[in-house]
Amino acid sequence: MISLPGASSFEVIAIWSVLVISFFGLGYALLLRKQVMACDKGTPKMQEVWGAISEGANAYLKRQLKTIVPLIFVFTIILFLSVYIVPPTESSKLRFAGYSDESLKLIIGFGRAMAFVMGAVFSLMVGQFGMRMAVQANVRVASASRRSFGEALKIAYRAGTVTGMLTDGLGLLGGTLIFMFFGVASPDTLLGFGFGGTLLALFMRVGGGIYTKAADVGADLVGKVEAGLPEDDERNAAVIADLVGDNVGDCAGMAADIFESYEVTIVSTLILGVVLYMTTLDLSWIIFPLLVRGIGVLSSIIGTYLVKGNKEAKTQNALKAINKGFYTSAAISIALFGIVSYFYLHDWRSFLSVVMGIILAIVLDEITKHFTDGNYHPVKDIARNAKTGSATLLLKGLSYGFEVAVWQTIVIALTILSAVIIYNGMPLVYVLYGVAMTGIGMLTLTGNNVAMDAFGPIADNANGVGELSHLDKDARKIMDSLDSTGNTTKAITKGVAIGSAVIAAVALFGSFITDVSNVQIQLGFEKSQQLIETGIRISMPMVFIGMLIGGTIPWLFSSLTINAVTRAAAMIVEEVRRQFRIPGIIERTVKPDYQRAVDICTVAAQKELIPLALIAVLSPILVGSLLGVEALGGFLGGVILSGQLLAVFMAGSGGAWDNAKKTIEDGLYGGKGSEAHHAAVVGDTVGDPLKDTAGPALNPMIKVINLVSLLAAPVLIAYQKPGQFSVGLVLTGVICLAIITGSVIVSKRGGFKRPARIE
Amino acid sequence: MSKYLYLSVTPEALIASMLPPAEFGDYMATGTKKSNKGQMIFFEVDIDKVTDLVDMDYIEKNCVRHPDGAPKHSVYLSVYRVLETIPLSALKNLYLTTDNGIVLELTPTPYDNSCEEKPSMHLYQELCPVTPQVVSEFCPAGFMKALTDGSRQFKLPKLFFVEMKLGELATNPATGSAEHLPYTHVRHLRDCLLALQGYEKKMKTVVRSYNGSLLYRTVASGFYVGAGSNMIYYRYPTMGELEEINYDFLATL
Repeated sequence: MISLPGASSFEVIAIWSVLVISFFGLGYALLLRKQVMACDKGTPKMQEVWGAISEGANAYLKRQLKTIVPLIFVFTIILFLSVYIVPPTESSKLRFAGYSDESLKLIIGFGRAMAFVMGAVFSLMVGQFGMRMAVQANVRVASASRRSFGEALKIAYRAGTVTGMLTDGLGLLGGTLIFMFFGVASPDTLLGFGFGGTLLALFMRVGGGIYTKAADVGADLVGKVEAGLPEDDERNAAVIADLVGDNVGDCAGMAADIFESYEVTIVSTLILGVVLYMTTLDLSWIIFPLLVRGIGVLSSIIGTYLVKGNKEAKTQNALKAINKGFYTSAAISIALFGIVSYFYLHDWRSFLSVVMGIILAIVLDEITKHFTDGNYHPVKDIARNAKTGSATLLLKGLSYGFEVAVWQTIVIALTILSAVIIYNGMPLVYVLYGVAMTGIGMLTLTGNNVAMDAFGPIADNANGVGELSHLDKDARKIMDSLDSTGNTTKAITKGVAIGSAVIAAVALFGSFITDVSNVQIQLGFEKSQQLIETGIRISMPMVFIGMLIGGTIPWLFSSLTINAVTRAAAMIVEEVRRQFRIPGIIERTVKPDYQRAVDICTVAAQKELIPLALIAVLSPILVGSLLGVEALGGFLGGVILSGQLLAVFMAGSGGAWDNAKKTIEDGLYGGKGSEAHHAAVVGDTVGDPLKDTAGPALNPMIKVINLVSLLAAPVLIAYQKPGQFSVGLVLTGVICLAIITGSVIVSKRGGFKRPARIE
Repeated sequence: MSKYLYLSVTPEALIASMLPPAEFGDYMATGTKKSNKGQMIFFEVDIDKVTDLVDMDYIEKNCVRHPDGAPKHSVYLSVYRVLETIPLSALKNLYLTTDNGIVLELTPTPYDNSCEEKPSMHLYQELCPVTPQVVSEFCPAGFMKALTDGSRQFKLPKLFFVEMKLGELATNPATGSAEHLPYTHVRHLRDCLLALQGYEKKMKTVVRSYNGSLLYRTVASGFYVGAGSNMIYYRYPTMGELEEINYDFLATL
């Protein structure tokens, strides 16, 4: 099956081992799932509440499938046919030497289409299975909290680890399988794998983000602010939608998001690794990243299994136990990377790049923590400004949001600089490979990271189940403590997700340059006209225009997603108000119709997907076809820079406002009901769609645009030879422009049809 | 079903009810349809000790179940000079209700005299029958005495008040940190405390009118009710104690 000329027996064994490790990771996920499912689901009342959450979650997942599956089908066909426009690369001809051109096209076309399906299905599986696991776990955590803190922590974290190991296992399995089948031809198919995962992540992130914040904002505005009900009050018709939303956004959306970063970093590394292999005939450029990923899975298994609390204790520091697992995994990984580098690579450069990635992840964590954690100065400062009203609180939050974007971007820039230094004096492709390896390093502990993230909604939902089923004080104290830890872990992993998205995008940007140059070489471009020689010259007006347009896309995307949340939240507000007027609901003699709020959020979330996906997919084609491939490079630069700054700004401000509110709720400046609290609630409500909808949606959007550019670039080059004018490309650009304009109009209106009232 | 008698202090009223204290507090705060919200502070009154003061026949006649069997929530007996009329010996526990109906029960506690030993300033919110917010150099017992013993131009027949947190301002009004005080009028409060130094009346009004809502997190030593040297003290628990005693109440603060 493996076709790698010159592979040593160690390298063949290494690849097989990586494949086995990926199954091992999936097996571990299954084992943990079995352990979680064996736990009891508590009292009939708890199961009744859980049943409503489960029903809502299933409705969302079914509806999501219905929207997404036809799109997967359409894109599969497009990707299959793309091979007839862009012929397979030289490396594919080398891998399948002896096959006719037609057979080769069939193999590569089929491979690319299947890789796309695999990427999309894996991404969908991570999101859907992960979310189902989270829903299954919440009631069990609530039930365990009646017995002990340790047991509740273990169930919540292990359920989160199921999602983490699915991300790890499936990401590694996909990349390894493609590499085993296609060898040096894998860049032709890996793009399909990356695109599948990224497109699905975009759907899940956007859909999840709109759902969760529409439900949250709607439920809070009427339930807490207008009616004065506490959080998770059973009389609030949106309470179940809110709980489902936590899973949809923070579990399914985030898992799919990190999965695609995980996928895309391996895709870009393998693409660059194959370029280096073709130049040096040294397979370690390809084998080492796979080994690093394999080691990451193993160390995550060990680290995550170590997370457990004292069974007898009533309270404990959950974050300490989780961090212990994380740092154990990190230490094991670094030690094993060192051993592999020493005995296999005999070169420390790739090792150093990977370690830089791990350091980057830790530094980004610390920066995120500094700006968004209630124990540090910025959040305390924002909370202090709540004393003078919401205006000063908002201004302080904006100020810190801008600042965090600066520091995070500088750290990422320094990390890229480290790749330049590590590969000093070597051609550009080595430096780009170094950047890609940094991404690999950064996502080494994806299993732990996703586990920490999914832990958040599980603990949050468990608290909701406990509140709604009126569990006793001791159980609720345990769940409050776990919920609070979950808020911290969610914020930390958001920082990693955004950072990894940028590194992955930069690595893809590197692949863009090498891929374009390869096609240019194939088409007989002179050396002086090849992109790898010219670079992307922003002094050229077309490139600058491309960059400017690229810079606007994240803003357009954010505007539309926030608009969608506002619109959907307004519908939820109306619905909850309507139900409050029904005699008996407020008096607790009549149960609210939770399903209607769930339906509103589900419909609103899915309706926005197509226009937003069209903008992400078609905007690079528009720029590339009208302004040229170098301008497309400028466009990508604009998207990455503007997207990174905006995403970090939104996550930073939103997270800081959220925790400023929590700090006040913990008793600062008079606690709940004080003037400061009223101001903080405004800040939190403004920040919610920023940090949980628009900001996170930018991660997959940046990569969808990058991957579409990678896929489209060869076609553009083929029809944009110097001195030639292509009517077809101009026409394509005009059509793209028309569709994008239509999508913006449709999105602003709230879908293709006016929102129907759900009666 | 038992009948209860309650003395509401915000606003002042004497109310008979068939609801026990926790349910009564919830009802008074959120209403029959649970669509209202408003803080409530009330005492339970020992009905046997006021039989000669209230119209028991009226209570017997009106405080009865509804035709559908539901208990009678409230029968107002008086809305004027109630605190003054009800003897201290008839006051049982004090109940604090959050605006969403969660009730905390406070029991009478022996008064702690240690306050008298270390001079500092105090912030008092008077709750009944008058409602100004006052700073004073008097400890709670002295403050109670000063306003109710007739030694001043005006005399209150009885007083119910709460001591509120002053933080560092209690000992250092000029430069002490007011960082964590949630009051909107901190600058004025500081001025009042500074003006109090060496002021012979030993008390100064900070705010003349009460907005009807007390931030329970700002309560310092607790609540005091009485006249002259006859005083009942209801100690307010620490946050740590509250977590054990009434987690629901703490969670809403």
